[in-house]
Amino acid sequence: MADVPDQLVLKVARDREGRRDVLFRRTAFTAILILLVLGLLNLFGQRPQTSTVDHPAATLELTAPSRVRGGLYYEARFRVDAIRELKKASLVLDSGWIEGTTINTIEPSPISEGSRDGDLVFELGHVPGGQEYVLYLQLQVNPTNVGRHSHDVQLYDGEELLASLDRTQTVFP
Amino acid sequence: MDIVIRAAVMFVFVWLVTRAVGRRELSTLEPVDLILLIVIGDLIQQGVTQNDFSVTGAFLAVGTIAAMTVFFSYASFRFPRLGPIIEGDPVILVEHGEPLMRNLKRNRITLEELAAQARLTAQIAHIRDLEWAVLETSGQISFIPKQT
Repeated sequence: MADVPDQLVLKVARDREGRRDVLFRRTAFTAILILLVLGLLNLFGQRPQTSTVDHPAATLELTAPSRVRGGLYYEARFRVDAIRELKKASLVLDSGWIEGTTINTIEPSPISEGSRDGDLVFELGHVPGGQEYVLYLQLQVNPTNVGRHSHDVQLYDGEELLASLDRTQTVFP
Repeated sequence: MDIVIRAAVMFVFVWLVTRAVGRRELSTLEPVDLILLIVIGDLIQQGVTQNDFSVTGAFLAVGTIAAMTVFFSYASFRFPRLGPIIEGDPVILVEHGEPLMRNLKRNRITLEELAAQARLTAQIAHIRDLEWAVLETSGQISFIPKQT
């Protein structure tokens, strides 16, 4: 009967004593599966969520993903339902919207853009009562912009604050 | 700095994936295995370099992968107890002409595959003519025929 090949120990190589390779493999594979399931459950983005805030004068609705990954393109849709006439409507976006993010398109173009205490201001102008105004932003996440960012949005009519949405966006690497 | 961290994280993740899927899948070129091997390289490149098209970025990414390879290799060499964790260890599949079904099953190798490998790589027609068959850490099977 031939000898056992050099450097092989039968208890290990044949009987697998003290070896947990199958357990390790299954654990690693389970971890990968859990990662996939979490991905399907939108833990890593980029499924959009809709947030709404009501005011007697207007309703502000934002549809955008709250979780995204570096490099992704996504859309943020702001819908203003004017219940009464808004003479000088404007949206104020927290600086977290623009930090480390590229704005590819804003449609329709606001009447003007500005800055208020470091936040981004889009002036929408006159919105008649009973009408809705929808603003689309096409954005891209810069890959180095990892972390949590404030994505608050406020709707003003002139200097009057009508509605405020508190949101946070998480950017995964 | 980010690119170094991304490359190191991807290295560890790909190592974990390769350990999870099993060594046979990485050494054979069956259609399903081929998909894994081709796709894995393409996908990790995007995750590591992302929008960085610079030569500096490539230096950093390749350097990190090279350093991680040496580090894993050295750890396995310097601390033998880590060897089975990092690279796995050989598994005997056939002993004195008898296939060890438990080990074959644990490595998802059928008798047909074993016989095919014996014919292909060692020109041995019958499993009973094998003294040893060992699944090596590379995923290849070495065959030692019986002495006549």
